[in-house]
Amino acid sequence: MADLEQKTKQGASRRDFLRGSGFAAATAVITGPAIASLDEAKAAEPEFKIVSDTTTLKLKVNGVDRTCEIEPRCTLLDTLRNRLDVTGPKRVCDRASCGACTVILDGDLVYSCTTLAISCGGKKVETVESFDSGVNSVPHAFVQNDGLMCGYCTPGFVTACKVMLDHNPNPTIDEVRKGVDGNICRCGTYVGVLQAALAAAKTMKGA
Amino acid sequence: MKAFEYVSTASADIAVKALGGVDGAILAGGTDLLSRMKDYVTTPKRVVDFNPQSVVQKETSPGGVPTWTILAGTTLADLLASKALREELPALWQAASEVGTPQIKNMATIAGNLLQRPRCWYYRSGFGLLSVKDGKNLLREGDNRYASIFHTDGDALFVAPSSLAVPLIALGASATILGPKGERTVMVSSLYQIPKRDSDRELTIGADEVLTKITLPAPQGKNATYEARQKQSHDWPLVLASVSLRFDGASVSQASIVIGGVAPIPYRAVEAEKAMFGKPVTLETAEAVAANAINGVKPLSGNVYKVALTKTVVKRALLAAVGNRYWEEV
Amino acid sequence: MPSVWPENPRLIGTRITRLDGLVKATGKAKYPSDMHPEGMLFGAMLYSPHAHAKIKSIDLAPAERMPGVKAVMIVGAIKPGSTLRFQGDDIAAVAAETEEQAWDAVLAIKVEYEVLPHVVTEAQAVAPGAASVFKGTGIVNNQKKARSQTNGDPEKALGAPGVVSIEANYMAPVITHVCLEPHGLTVRFVGEDKIEAWASTQAVGVTAGDLAGAFGIPTTNVTVHTEVMGGGFGSKFGADIWGITAAHLSKKAGGRPVKMFLDRAHEHLGAGNRPSAIAHVKLGASKDGKLVSLIAETSGTGGAGSGSNFPLPYVYAVPNSSRTHTDIFVNGGNARAMRAPGHPQGCIVMEAAMDDLADKLGIDPLEFRLKNLKERDMVEDGFSKPTVDRTPMYLDEVAMGADLIGWKAKWKPRGKNGDGPIRRGLGMALHQWGGGGPATNQVACTINPDGSVEMKSATQDIGTGARTIFAIIAAEVLGLNVTDITSNIGNSTFPPGQPSGGSTTTPAMSPPAFNAAILARDELFVKVAPGLNAKPEDLTLADGQVCVKGEPKLPWKDACRKLGQQSIQVTGKSSPGLASQHGGVGGCQFAEVSVDIETGVVRVKKIVAIQDTGLIIDKMTWETQVYGGVIGGLNYGLFEERVMDPTVGIMLNPDMELYKLAGASDIPEIVVRAYETPAMKARGVIGVGEPPTVSTAAAIGNAVSNAIGVRVPHWPMSPKNVLDALASKEGKA
Repeated sequence: MADLEQKTKQGASRRDFLRGSGFAAATAVITGPAIASLDEAKAAEPEFKIVSDTTTLKLKVNGVDRTCEIEPRCTLLDTLRNRLDVTGPKRVCDRASCGACTVILDGDLVYSCTTLAISCGGKKVETVESFDSGVNSVPHAFVQNDGLMCGYCTPGFVTACKVMLDHNPNPTIDEVRKGVDGNICRCGTYVGVLQAALAAAKTMKGA
Repeated sequence: MKAFEYVSTASADIAVKALGGVDGAILAGGTDLLSRMKDYVTTPKRVVDFNPQSVVQKETSPGGVPTWTILAGTTLADLLASKALREELPALWQAASEVGTPQIKNMATIAGNLLQRPRCWYYRSGFGLLSVKDGKNLLREGDNRYASIFHTDGDALFVAPSSLAVPLIALGASATILGPKGERTVMVSSLYQIPKRDSDRELTIGADEVLTKITLPAPQGKNATYEARQKQSHDWPLVLASVSLRFDGASVSQASIVIGGVAPIPYRAVEAEKAMFGKPVTLETAEAVAANAINGVKPLSGNVYKVALTKTVVKRALLAAVGNRYWEEV
Repeated sequence: MPSVWPENPRLIGTRITRLDGLVKATGKAKYPSDMHPEGMLFGAMLYSPHAHAKIKSIDLAPAERMPGVKAVMIVGAIKPGSTLRFQGDDIAAVAAETEEQAWDAVLAIKVEYEVLPHVVTEAQAVAPGAASVFKGTGIVNNQKKARSQTNGDPEKALGAPGVVSIEANYMAPVITHVCLEPHGLTVRFVGEDKIEAWASTQAVGVTAGDLAGAFGIPTTNVTVHTEVMGGGFGSKFGADIWGITAAHLSKKAGGRPVKMFLDRAHEHLGAGNRPSAIAHVKLGASKDGKLVSLIAETSGTGGAGSGSNFPLPYVYAVPNSSRTHTDIFVNGGNARAMRAPGHPQGCIVMEAAMDDLADKLGIDPLEFRLKNLKERDMVEDGFSKPTVDRTPMYLDEVAMGADLIGWKAKWKPRGKNGDGPIRRGLGMALHQWGGGGPATNQVACTINPDGSVEMKSATQDIGTGARTIFAIIAAEVLGLNVTDITSNIGNSTFPPGQPSGGSTTTPAMSPPAFNAAILARDELFVKVAPGLNAKPEDLTLADGQVCVKGEPKLPWKDACRKLGQQSIQVTGKSSPGLASQHGGVGGCQFAEVSVDIETGVVRVKKIVAIQDTGLIIDKMTWETQVYGGVIGGLNYGLFEERVMDPTVGIMLNPDMELYKLAGASDIPEIVVRAYETPAMKARGVIGVGEPPTVSTAAAIGNAVSNAIGVRVPHWPMSPKNVLDALASKEGKA
């Protein structure tokens, strides 16, 4: 008996090829020997390439192909903000604690402040700027429920909420809490944020 | 962050080669390494972005005990998505569910969690693992609320940071490591050591080795983890304990009890394990066994509270294993 | 004739979503830290790694030679021989083509330090022989006597027969603002003598003045923009040394814009904090529960020079009292105003003592509080009603809150909350604040021939909804929809507007906004009345129509078209009666907590917040502010603490991980109610940004003590502090 669970992701990198691209965010059951064959594939990989200087990064941001020059040490966040003028994601803690930098990378919610841009070549980045799909979308729910004050944390919260609702269209309030626990608001707008997420779930179902 | 050269590979062989002969660091999920690099606590010349598969698998070998295999690149999110793991390894599942945030769970891998460096605020401020300055141990003299209460005679007073090491050790897991000389397999408990000098590391894995997978025998019995922390949202455990119990009828025939957040290595409560032998898990026995878990405790100036906390956490982990969650409000 | 708010408003006091909500929620709002003008360089600061040091030498040359570097400079008056008084004290700055290059250059600056002995905790500072933070008149052993006051004869009153008293220590730590957008600005030096800046500030006007002053140029040559900004909480009132430095760097780099925002650690270290509070309190009352005496020796630290005072006695009538306060100086960043400066500390100390004494007296702490309100608590108020008595307001508010938390049914005396591991407890606290707004501001209102309406002033929105407030008021007066109005704020060249501090923005800006809209309306009436064969005084505006004696006659746009080429442009000033000048609001909060006595973990289950603030303009953003205040107070009550290391003098948690702040799972049910009687509305507009944050931490602390039967004297209510308190009760510590 083999019970193998493997989550695969969208994208075109070699890693994703090995992981079996095409099974977007799905759980695939593959048999035991698959690991061995993947190991053989890895063994056949050529010698490694060292990137030590600036290099050209290509990635898709909100559906648009973008290109810029980066150093290996540039984070995805700083690349978006400083080089591509995508300033929805904010730099606040810069240490994977506060969530203001949250983006969706190949379908996964991640902190862009602790993701190297160079590791995102060919990947799809979705940021808060692309989530306004009409009055039933999450950004509108934040406005209707006043889930924001100064607004600096809001892009991260909207992004986390959107992904949470994509995965769980009928959340309880505690599930909403867990879904946005990777984000911190200093003005203290959590009550509106929670209401916004629940309201968005409702209107999205109605739509 | 200082500049570095970058290598990306999904192959452990190549990762080992890329680490050879340079001051290198493996990049897994990035949440630990990149934060240290931003604080200039770690300044590798080369970062090897090792991105192996994310696979959780249970296999039965003919006639043998089924084995769980978790490949190094398995993200916490993928670990938590496994229903079978949740049912059979609740100690691991529970510990993983309490780590980090939705974002961190998507980024962090099992190998990265096991091999992360201490969160000790002196270490993170650049005072080294032992935080000794001018002959003075900063953690012993300073704010040690989160520091060790066991093994405190030496200078290593930080606590081992990995939440997943605690259940994995309780469950008897092994780690497979690939290095220039080939592959070796060690118990997860052997990944950790107490550094004596500042040049020592708290991890036994070599600078040119990579962890490739975790394996563990399917447990026979019950297992559980209990964690206490200040915040309900993203926070580090103050203390957590994992137990794995085998039963002979209603009585415990073998117990593994491991505590995190109390020592520079995941702490095995051997006396408590012995005390649990031959008894059923009840409120009374769990209380008594937990009292054994703090034998030999030597708290520091500011963390005496952790002694009581440790007792509670061990007691609750034992009771959680048998489904008694007496502390939950109805 | 002075204007008065409409008796039956259509919009004022209703729930209206904020006008700039969508641009923020879609990430399209450009914050000062998002600006990227053509040719912009990235700035970075070098700050002191030591708590106390003398600079022996600085060599900028290695940084100047680094790739991409365009300007390097020493900041302010720093020179060899200068003393750095805290970790985070500013030394030098760099501007470079990329941010990575700027930080590399900062590392390359060579500074030789002579490390001096330091003191970073209150205990360290007052220890015999402690190193001196700085010398000054009246400073002995890093301590300076601050406020000292005596009323009556407190010693005698306390010792009188039949007086029941408590003696206790309470302590609240230093906390920091943690504005999510760091302090800083993006700035461009234009030509020889002009500056344009995009600043994250609570005061565009002050920031413009600071920049002008630093370069000796007229303020008219400086334009500061703050379209939106990411939080200030009292810590962002000027250009700061960082902004001025950035402007110098821009000038040095030939006018290329420079973006300079602090990193997170620097924010914690050098951009302000709320001082600590340490109190030794004796409080006594007669057996029937009437306060007779308070003797309090208090201290606190506001860092390397700032004060730490807080109000005490607080709220209640204490016939005899003595209070001495001592400022303690440490090698730490200086305090700045933080959301209701002083009041949260004063509230914690007073309300903890009130609860402890009520427990000793065996009186319900709610009843004890009501017994000890002042007979009359008169506060200065708006022009129409010169004074108002807060005591009857408190009585009503406490009754409302008690009902909503279920005090009668649920409250049990301290320590009588069960035998299990989880104990429930209730606590409460009262607070007060100012919240009025000065009458010195102006708002311009423009009605254009195309029907568009603009409200304009040099105030800014720090999250309270200033744009929306302007639009509601204008739409109310002009019979339009809120979304028909454009509010332009956050520009220092606009008519003078209120700096956003002290809960003053809404009360200061609503009157001139209202008067501007009225002036504009009246001018429109004069222009269109002849065409309608009516007198201007017969005209009114409703539902987008100009009405003659109440009959709709002309749609708004058609009326405006009659202006021809000429827009109406008027400027409104404040006038008496529309807002309270000094405020004087009150409120009360109730907390229900559960405490796990085996782990010390506290979970807040419910908070009830009752608040009066005069006339409310937007009920929705008003509630959001109160929720925010409560959550800020919850952070103070449960999580926040600046942790300093005594040996090396550094802050150990300058981050957002070990500096703990609530996430969504830490947020309880919060019930917010406005105390909004006709008499309150008659007070005019009063601000609400600060008052609701004052009493939360005190109420939580009292609820914890009620739950576990023992006072936890140290805030926050962490597992450590709770378990330590429980252990000391059992004689273990």
